[in-house]
Amino acid sequence: MAEARAESLAANDWGGGVHPYRVGHRKLGMWLFIMSDTLTFGALLVAYSYARAASVNWPTPFPFAPSIIFSTTMTLVLLSSSLTMVFAVAASKRGKRGAARKWIFATMVLGLTFVVLHGMEWSHLIGEGLTPFELPAEWAEAWPGASPLFGSTFFGITGLHMFHVLTGVIYLGVVAARIKKLNDDVEVAGLYWHFVDLVWMFVFPLIYLLSVDYHGVIK
Amino acid sequence: MVQSKAKEIKALNLVLLGLSALSIGAAVWAVASDRFKAGTDDVFLVLVCLMLALLFAVPPLIWAHANGMLKNPFADEAAEGGAAMETEAGHAEHGGSNRENVIVWGALLALTAIEVFLAYIQINATLMLIILMGASIIKAALIVAYFMHLKFERLSLILTIVPTIVILLCLFAILFPDSFRLHDLRPAQPVQHVEHEG
Repeated sequence: MAEARAESLAANDWGGGVHPYRVGHRKLGMWLFIMSDTLTFGALLVAYSYARAASVNWPTPFPFAPSIIFSTTMTLVLLSSSLTMVFAVAASKRGKRGAARKWIFATMVLGLTFVVLHGMEWSHLIGEGLTPFELPAEWAEAWPGASPLFGSTFFGITGLHMFHVLTGVIYLGVVAARIKKLNDDVEVAGLYWHFVDLVWMFVFPLIYLLSVDYHGVIK
Repeated sequence: MVQSKAKEIKALNLVLLGLSALSIGAAVWAVASDRFKAGTDDVFLVLVCLMLALLFAVPPLIWAHANGMLKNPFADEAAEGGAAMETEAGHAEHGGSNRENVIVWGALLALTAIEVFLAYIQINATLMLIILMGASIIKAALIVAYFMHLKFERLSLILTIVPTIVILLCLFAILFPDSFRLHDLRPAQPVQHVEHEG
C-alpha cells in the first residue's frame, strides 16, 4: 500500500514527490541557481547594450592583433575547460574516481589560465588609463563625445564573470578533494562550470567582437 | 475529497485559459485598431500580450495532457513508466558519448572561428550583431543540451527551465525602444559640458 503510494508520487513529475523531475535535490538546486544567475548576467548585458545603443559614440579600442587574438585564445581555453569537465563527469559516472579527479584538475588549470590571461588584459587596459568611471584621455580624443560607461560596463561584466570563474575553480577544488563520496557532486559542479562558459559565449561577442578597432585609432 | 480537489484544479485551469484568451484578445485588438503609429513600442505591446497568453496557457495545457485530453506530440514521453533510461535513483544516466561531446566541442570552436572571422573582415554593424547573437544562441543551446545534459533529462525539467528564461530575457529586451529613442533625441552635436560639483 505504502509502496504503491510512493510509486504514484514518484511517477508524476508535476506532483513533486520523492524525486521532482527525477534529478535529486542538488542538481535541481543548481539548475535554479543557474536560472537566477542567467538573469543577473542578462540584466548586465542588456544594460550594457542599452547604454551603447543610447550613446552617440562608444569606444572600440580592441585592435584585431593583439587584443582580439588574445581574447579568442581566452575563449578557446574556456571552451576546452568545458570539454575536460564533461570528461570528468563521464568518468565519475562510471565510478572512475582517479580519472575524474585528473580531469577536474585539468579543468581547474584551464580555468586559472583563463583568469591569468584576463588579468593580463585588465592590467594592460588599466595601464592605458581606463577606469570604471573615466576613459583615458587619448580615447576621449579618438572618439569624441564617447560615453565613459565603457569602463564601468567592461570592468563590471568581465569582473563579475572572472569572479564566477575563480569561485568555480575553488568549488572544483573542493569537489576534487571530496571525490571519495559517490554522489552527483561532480555533475552538479559541471553544471556550474558550463554555465560560466555559456556566459562567456555572450560576453565575448558583445563586448570584444563589437568593439574592434579597425582604423588603428590607438597607437 | 479527491473529487472536490480535482474540481478545484479544473476550475483554476479554466480561469487561466480564460486569462490566456483575454491576452490574445488584447493582442488582436492592438493589431486591429491600427496602433502601429509609435514605432517599435506597439510591436512590443503585441509581443508582451502574446507572451502572457502563452504563459497563462501552459498550466491548462499540462493539466489537459495529464488527463489524457490531448494527443501526445512528444512520443518518447509516452514511455512514462519505462524504466529503461532510469536507475534506482531515477536519474537519466545515458548522456552523449565521448565522441558526441568532442563533436559538440568542435562545433563550438567552429562557431567561434566564424564569429572571429566576421570581426576580422569588418561587415556592417547591424548584420554583425544579428549574426553574433544568432551564433551565440546556437552555442548556448549546444552547451545547455549536451554539456549540461539537459537534452537527456525529463521533458518537464526542460519545460521548466527553458521557456522561463527565454520569456524573461524577452521582457528585458522590451526596454530597447527606449534606448533608440534616447539616441535619436540627443542633440546633433556633442554639447559643451558645464562643470558640476559631483
